[in-house]
Amino acid sequence: MMFDKTEVPVRPVRAPLTSLLTLAFCGLALFVPAANAVNTAEETEAQKVKRYAKEAADTSILRICAASDELPMSKKDGSGFENKIAVALAKAMGREPKFVWYDKPSIYLVRDQLKKMACDVVIGVDTGDPRVATSKSYYRASYVFIARKSSNYDLSKGWESPDLAKVGKIGFTPSSPAQVMMEKLGLYQDNLNYMYSLTNFKNRRNQYIKLPPQRMVNEVADETADLAVNFAPEVARYVKEKDNLELVVIPDTNVRSDGESVPHHFDQSLGVREDADALLKELNTALDKAAPEIQDILKSEGSPLLPQPPPT
Amino acid sequence: MRKHITLGLLATVSCVAVATTASANDKLVELSKSNENWVMPGKNYSSQNYSPNKQINIDNVKDLRAAWSFSTGLLHGHEGTPLVVDGVMYVHTSFPNNTFALDLNDPGKIIWQHKPKQDPAARAVACCDLVNRGLAYWPGDGETPPLIVKTQLDGHLVALNAKTGEEFWKVENGDIKVGQTLTQAPYVIKNLALVGSSGAELGVRGHTTAYNVKTGEQVWRVYATGPDADVGIGADFNKANPHYGTKDLGTGTWEGDAWKIGGGTNWGWYAYDPDTNLFHYGSGNPAPWNETMRPGDNKWTMTIWGRDADTGEAKFGYQKTPHDEWDYAGVNVMMLSEQKDKDGKMRKLLTHPDRNGIVYTLDRENGDLISANKLDDTVNWVKQVDLKTGLPVRDPEFGTRMDHKGKEICPSAMGYHNQGHDSYDPERKLFYMGINHICMDWEPFMLPYRAGQFFVGATLWMYPGPKGDRQNYLGLGQVKAYNAITGEYQWETMERFSVWGGTMSTAGGLVFYGTLDGFIKARNSDTGELLWKFKIPSGAIGHPMTYEHNGTQYVAIMYGVGGWPGVGLVFDLQDPTAGLGAVGAFKNLQNYTQMGGGLMVFSLDGKSPYTDVSVGEYKG
Repeated sequence: MMFDKTEVPVRPVRAPLTSLLTLAFCGLALFVPAANAVNTAEETEAQKVKRYAKEAADTSILRICAASDELPMSKKDGSGFENKIAVALAKAMGREPKFVWYDKPSIYLVRDQLKKMACDVVIGVDTGDPRVATSKSYYRASYVFIARKSSNYDLSKGWESPDLAKVGKIGFTPSSPAQVMMEKLGLYQDNLNYMYSLTNFKNRRNQYIKLPPQRMVNEVADETADLAVNFAPEVARYVKEKDNLELVVIPDTNVRSDGESVPHHFDQSLGVREDADALLKELNTALDKAAPEIQDILKSEGSPLLPQPPPT
Repeated sequence: MRKHITLGLLATVSCVAVATTASANDKLVELSKSNENWVMPGKNYSSQNYSPNKQINIDNVKDLRAAWSFSTGLLHGHEGTPLVVDGVMYVHTSFPNNTFALDLNDPGKIIWQHKPKQDPAARAVACCDLVNRGLAYWPGDGETPPLIVKTQLDGHLVALNAKTGEEFWKVENGDIKVGQTLTQAPYVIKNLALVGSSGAELGVRGHTTAYNVKTGEQVWRVYATGPDADVGIGADFNKANPHYGTKDLGTGTWEGDAWKIGGGTNWGWYAYDPDTNLFHYGSGNPAPWNETMRPGDNKWTMTIWGRDADTGEAKFGYQKTPHDEWDYAGVNVMMLSEQKDKDGKMRKLLTHPDRNGIVYTLDRENGDLISANKLDDTVNWVKQVDLKTGLPVRDPEFGTRMDHKGKEICPSAMGYHNQGHDSYDPERKLFYMGINHICMDWEPFMLPYRAGQFFVGATLWMYPGPKGDRQNYLGLGQVKAYNAITGEYQWETMERFSVWGGTMSTAGGLVFYGTLDGFIKARNSDTGELLWKFKIPSGAIGHPMTYEHNGTQYVAIMYGVGGWPGVGLVFDLQDPTAGLGAVGAFKNLQNYTQMGGGLMVFSLDGKSPYTDVSVGEYKG
């Protein structure tokens, strides 16, 4: 349970001036539960800020923002492929990798950890993510269809494949490019219930609910669903484990009903705080140095790696 | 047991429906006039929840005692109130929506029970606990027996033979697979069974549908959003008030095709005027719930409707909260009255305490806005409603928008008034309203993930309004007596928790209501003075009713805590922001009551069929 350690009164006694201050504290306490390994219940906010600043200045360590439980990207035991990339980078930099584990989904890492100085680098953001300064890209990956080989669908034309009409249930991630395309093709409503079933019908209204990629893959394998759509790095590891499944890259030629483009291929980078110029430079150098090792890690995941466009 | 009829027959059936309307309608109206019956959740078509019975009154209410009780055998929230027709009480329950018929001569014996098997997915998609709001009764016509019409959470509308409980027909009104549930009490007008839909949370398109009550065949369906033909916008729509909006707004006030999943469901209470042949209800909140994702007024969500009962066609529609930012779903009760307006002109009125903290009174013949006053002076998202334009004058400080944490917004998303069924005393010309006194902080956010994914959400904190005790999370409710013409409150009183279920008033000068912490209370209608209370087994989220049987007046109320205020209790949630903040606001509820559903019935000195101890005895 998220709030076990911080029994914060949601609404303190009303007192005009202090209530604002307390509220600000409330917000912090709610959004940054004690997930940091070094953190203790006794540490005050002020002490924490001080510690973060000291750690950030320490060039002997690389503080990596990482989700505790978000395979295949990241897991506290280091088995996520982005954890491995982080270790390779730290080695190339001559620094000690220090994982700052966070129990909430990685979607919160930038806002709640990186920006609050709890850690210094996020592995795996879209190149050009406006919230952060991004490194050079170290791989390019696409949205893919996951299908059973025995279905013999011809999905080579991506969302324009006529065979999509034959498909029954389709697993997809809400608020992803897949949803936009499914809305356009009239597939969204038919698959809404199935999509909710993947999160056990939990209401997404005021909580982020991670749609488990492994379950999405397994349900295609066991014929609960006929097709799934996801970002290749999220599912490649699990597809590789299933002999009866295949990945089909979706071409990057998709447009919405109003003609606006819907990108399906994305360059992936490291993200640092916008003012961390020196660190970013160091990371870019390390990316070059560790490139062969990183490529090996990515290849063993099984994700189709696309040619990267030349840097602009 | 659904009757299959061919298309060719459909037309015939509709003709028959029209030809026999008067008699079936009159029968229900006649039944509703008797003190012995309570034929619909609001007692009569005017939904006044008012009984002319004076047997229990301010002088003797202190002698009210428990007469008999009935356990429904179910946990979870019990909203609404039972029906009584011709000496039989019909009791509904929370999911799985069982129905019981009890003989009022010997309520210890269940005449029949209906226990449907439902799609278990229904349980998972329901928004706020597993409530149901009640039943409808159709009196029969000689050929077709009297029917009880009920909703199931899994989206089915079912008619039961009122004498035997056998399923007479069953139709799927909404597809549970796209998140369409049913929690509402259906509504019978003439030979039609009307029902709305739930599930705006999950991006469905809300509708109201009429079924032939004898066959279950769909007669008409109108939507809250979309092209005029779908919404049922007629040629004369809003003729008297064109500034409310007229043509093509069900699509024109949405971006692209967003209206297709635009919400606007309705799961509250209906009212009907046999003279105008219009029925009235409110459509609910737009979807998706985050306002940045649906620019525009989002018509015709959040709208008070006047629709023709035979065709569903809309004569007027007044949107209370254009482009909702707070989840002020406008489905609340509509109470009909005949009163003189400020100029002394007799008018047919409709009064509606809305989630948004405004109590609206409209001329129900043409939609004219008569008054729009704050349910409490602490309402702050709106400064006032401009009676000329009908538009709320907003205070931007209390809006919700991306990258802004709205603080101290009153009312909270629960509204100052929610699903409670209130009452109107036509002698005193007062509306008795059960109020939520809850405010909120609301922080929307959009978090980008990688590869073009993002998550849009908000974090809500709810807490007592300024008049409550914020340190202890108490003082979350009020009861108020309101005059819709003067806009004045004759009296008001605070309650520990929301008065979620609404009120019932009587000519005995009494206002009855149940509380979340498990009391039924009676107050003096003129002064609000507390005259009587009784501790019932669990918190009440439904409204009381009264009936007379063999010369004795009884007051009945269902108990069974739950619903939105009870989600923390019934699902054992701890995170204060869960249940859209309800868990935090009602964290102390568990110290006052626990789950358990049933019915309590009261009478003076506890007189009951069992006062004669030989009644119901085993005679072997």
